[in-house]
Amino acid sequence: MVSIAVMFLHAYANPAHERAAQAILRERFPDLFVSISSEIAPEIREFERASTTVANAYIKPIADRYLDNLGREIAALGIGAPLFMMLSNGGLTHVREAKRTPIQLLESGPAAGALAGAFFGDRSAAKSVLAFDMGGTTAKLSVVDDGEPLIGYSFEAAREKRFIEGSGLPINISTIELIEIGAGGGSIAHLDSLGLLKVGPQSAGSQPGPACYGRGGSEPTVTDANLLLGYLNPDFFAGGTIAISTDAATGAMQKIGAATDMSPIGVAWGIHNVVNESMASAARVHIAERGKDPRRYALLTTGGGGPLHGCEVARKLGIKRIVCPPGAGVASALGLLVAPARVDRVSTIAAPLATMDWPAFEAAYAALEADALSVIRDTGIDPETAEVTRLADLRYIGQGFELVTALPPGPYGPGALAGIMAAFEAAYRAVFSRTPPGSVEVVNIRVSARAPAGGADLQVRAPDGATLADALKTSRPVYFGLAGDFVATPVYDRRLLGAGSDIAGPAVIEEPESTLIVPQDGRLVVENSGNLVVTLG
Amino acid sequence: MDRTPFDPATLEVVWTRLISAVDEAAAALVRTAFSTVVRESYDFSCVITDVEGRSIAQATESIPVFIGTLPRTVRHMLQAFPPETLSPGDVLITNDAWMGTGHLPDVNVAKPIFVGGRLVAFAASTAHAPDIGGRSGQNYIRDIFEEGLQIPIMKLIDRGVVDETIVAVMRANVRAADDVLGDLWAQVTALDVVERRLTVLMQEYELTDLGPLAEEIQGRSETAMRRAIAALPNGTYRHSLTTDGALEPVRIETAVTITDDEMIIDFEGSSAQIDGAAINVPFCYSYAFTVYAAKCILSPDIPNNEGAFLPIVVKAPAGSIVNSQFPTSGGSRNQVGHFLPVGVFGALANVIPDRVMGASGSPLWSIKQSGVTEDGRPYANLFFFNGGMGASHRRDGENCLSWPSNVSNSPVEMIERQAPMRVTRKRLREGSGGAGTHRGGLGQEIVFEVLSPTPIVVTFGADRTRVAAEGGAGGAPGALGATLINGKAVDAKETYTVHRGDTVSLLTPGAGGFGPPERRAPDAVLADSLEGYAGAGE
Repeated sequence: MVSIAVMFLHAYANPAHERAAQAILRERFPDLFVSISSEIAPEIREFERASTTVANAYIKPIADRYLDNLGREIAALGIGAPLFMMLSNGGLTHVREAKRTPIQLLESGPAAGALAGAFFGDRSAAKSVLAFDMGGTTAKLSVVDDGEPLIGYSFEAAREKRFIEGSGLPINISTIELIEIGAGGGSIAHLDSLGLLKVGPQSAGSQPGPACYGRGGSEPTVTDANLLLGYLNPDFFAGGTIAISTDAATGAMQKIGAATDMSPIGVAWGIHNVVNESMASAARVHIAERGKDPRRYALLTTGGGGPLHGCEVARKLGIKRIVCPPGAGVASALGLLVAPARVDRVSTIAAPLATMDWPAFEAAYAALEADALSVIRDTGIDPETAEVTRLADLRYIGQGFELVTALPPGPYGPGALAGIMAAFEAAYRAVFSRTPPGSVEVVNIRVSARAPAGGADLQVRAPDGATLADALKTSRPVYFGLAGDFVATPVYDRRLLGAGSDIAGPAVIEEPESTLIVPQDGRLVVENSGNLVVTLG
Repeated sequence: MDRTPFDPATLEVVWTRLISAVDEAAAALVRTAFSTVVRESYDFSCVITDVEGRSIAQATESIPVFIGTLPRTVRHMLQAFPPETLSPGDVLITNDAWMGTGHLPDVNVAKPIFVGGRLVAFAASTAHAPDIGGRSGQNYIRDIFEEGLQIPIMKLIDRGVVDETIVAVMRANVRAADDVLGDLWAQVTALDVVERRLTVLMQEYELTDLGPLAEEIQGRSETAMRRAIAALPNGTYRHSLTTDGALEPVRIETAVTITDDEMIIDFEGSSAQIDGAAINVPFCYSYAFTVYAAKCILSPDIPNNEGAFLPIVVKAPAGSIVNSQFPTSGGSRNQVGHFLPVGVFGALANVIPDRVMGASGSPLWSIKQSGVTEDGRPYANLFFFNGGMGASHRRDGENCLSWPSNVSNSPVEMIERQAPMRVTRKRLREGSGGAGTHRGGLGQEIVFEVLSPTPIVVTFGADRTRVAAEGGAGGAPGALGATLINGKAVDAKETYTVHRGDTVSLLTPGAGGFGPPERRAPDAVLADSLEGYAGAGE
């Protein structure tokens, strides 16, 4: 036995027994990793707290060894900069904090992607962004409001059915909210028992890969469809590093074509359109669940497939503006460079607001703040630069679920009641349209401390001076849904597109990691920031 | 199949869009509803039907039974208000038990959708109201009049104008009127979402009429279901089961007859309705749970729409417990209705034993407790605890997971915060799952100690305290459930008053196992004995 989880009923409210158990375990078994629920996820509801604590206990020995090795190897390379880790909430922290509750690292990769979305959107004056990342097997969507990715306070890991809500283990950590859909370049198209064309979630992966790779795949994939529609350049695939076969892609369409009396191109457009619709539908429902309207967002496309599908997905959502940042295929890594230091802390209070013990309430917040700021300080950042937000999980007494609400700043005394009520009622109305009568209780209190970590002034620029003619590579027939046919379309090399370039669709913009398709009714502008911005007519 | 304007890709895209329209409507309903019964338990549904009230698309997050009831409700509404009496901006309402879902708390609304001046579809929604007046929730009530407020089919909104008389009558007749009406307006909001999305969709695809699309969707679903039925051998397959009932045991006789690509499910021979008890099942609810069970076995992947159910006929004698007549109450109809899928599975076990599962520890168990605090404040809480789920030919049954309807088990930490009771024990019931090649899911034991200085009134939602959940294909039955006060078994259907220091225990039933126990894999037998899971009947 190397690691143990300790979980006592009501330890969110009174951790004394868990701490005593921890002390005994440490004394008797000094080599054992101990995770206690009151430290990992001090929130009411025993099942979710236990599940989170056990998951932390499971990864703690592995993360400990890994992070130690990582630190050693980096030091051996002669790199003197401090090592920070990205957490699932999109904040950076130091290694000791990451080792204490490694479960917080769970979703750090996608969190970095969402931060990059916020960063690049901001550079095109798009404060509210739907970040759309499409890769080989899945597409991910996250919502950025006013420059801030939406944060959720619970998460499901290891779903038994990958994309089905409720089939995973509940993990109570703060994470960037995102949805994952089983749709990517390798997703396989098939006819279901009703004779309908379905795409995914089965994927050909990279082995054997899409049929056009010629590595033994024979099922039609999204990439095969995109190739036949002229979106992908057979001579410049992955920057010219993979040889692909149009014949193999056409062959893969035959089985569906024969069963449905459709041409290979008809099947290819069907696959492209179906996968776009499934991504747009998932986005629509995700946004509706948060009470927001997709039309006020810009769509920010990253990953190999994002720019290929972005304009048509945007059209289905009623979005007019599509932003394609430079290096769209590797944008997540940039998110790590621009992330702030961030520490979230939670504690359960469970008391009605009307009869609140205000000195105790204020002391509980102050304790969380002191703890959060000490982690910021240990990350090598002046705590004075940190912005501290108080939040609380509030609900009307009798309700089963809480709304996480940002509160006015402290310190709190009896006079704070009106401000807290007003904040809750406003947040409640924003989500649920109207407030019921009734009194309000606090379940959990939360503190979020954030401080800039130095990468926020990162510059990415488009090349100056090149002319449009320099960037024009060739022209090829490309299929557009609006035309219902192939249209001769100019192809540009993104690396040679100068800032200020203004191109009317249709157009294809190629770079090694991805290809942007601009439909006939789109207009493309290359901004100083290096972002490509498409406006649909 | 006839040629239609829809190729398989376009149809998939349009169909996906229809389902996302009802999913968006469901999201709006959850977001704007007041009661936790909608927001937390998801006890609601949203559908789009064609102009004849046949469903085309249903929201993904809906409880099973409304798949079958809501389109029928729309058809009843159409009889009361034929198309020529409907206008844009109308919203119809009813909670009629026989035309709705079998009991009064479920409020049904429907909105005719007009595009280009033409009636093209209905948007409809059912949601379980937090209260409907009367003595709803108790197991022994005289009739429907004691159950609560009845709302016949009426126009709640006429050309955009709300009928304030209906609203005032509702307000005066329900407890928690703000929550009840808040949920109702949330339902109306959901219908508006469907209307907007459907209008845009039809304009985008230049459709003036949903008929061909509806026919295509229903036709393909019907064909797939007929194919699934035709794969079974012709014949009549029977099953008989008994439940605890109320006042007297209830017998459910199920006969499934397969004739080529059609299935008739007949409940002839089942017990008569019970006057004075609330466990009677109006036909609409029987129909819904019966076709749901058939679809689960035959063709679970088909999206929910009318076509999937056309090849299935359900029959139940009028006046029987599964086709109860006015004015008998079906307030707690789930206590019998949840057994109908067991009957369907049991009958089909004769012909496809490897596709059914052992019976579950049904129905959903609950305890309702209410009282008045020392300072005079009335309160009430409802907590849920599941029995085990039946084992199948593929795997052991899940522990503490109800079927065919399921609500999360209430957390101990929340119970102890909300109720003046301490949970002194909560554990899996060792050996309660029926033995089998695959073991039935375990039930649980939960014991409360009353802390309140004032008395507490408790009512249980419980069954299978006298008749166990049977096994499938040679599997053993699960353990019986029990309700105890101070360690003594009590009738689960009665209402009790308990005092400080008393203990109240719920032992939820285990589920039936699947396949002969002697064929259980040796390592699974060993694991069971190490974990204390060893099957009942071993």
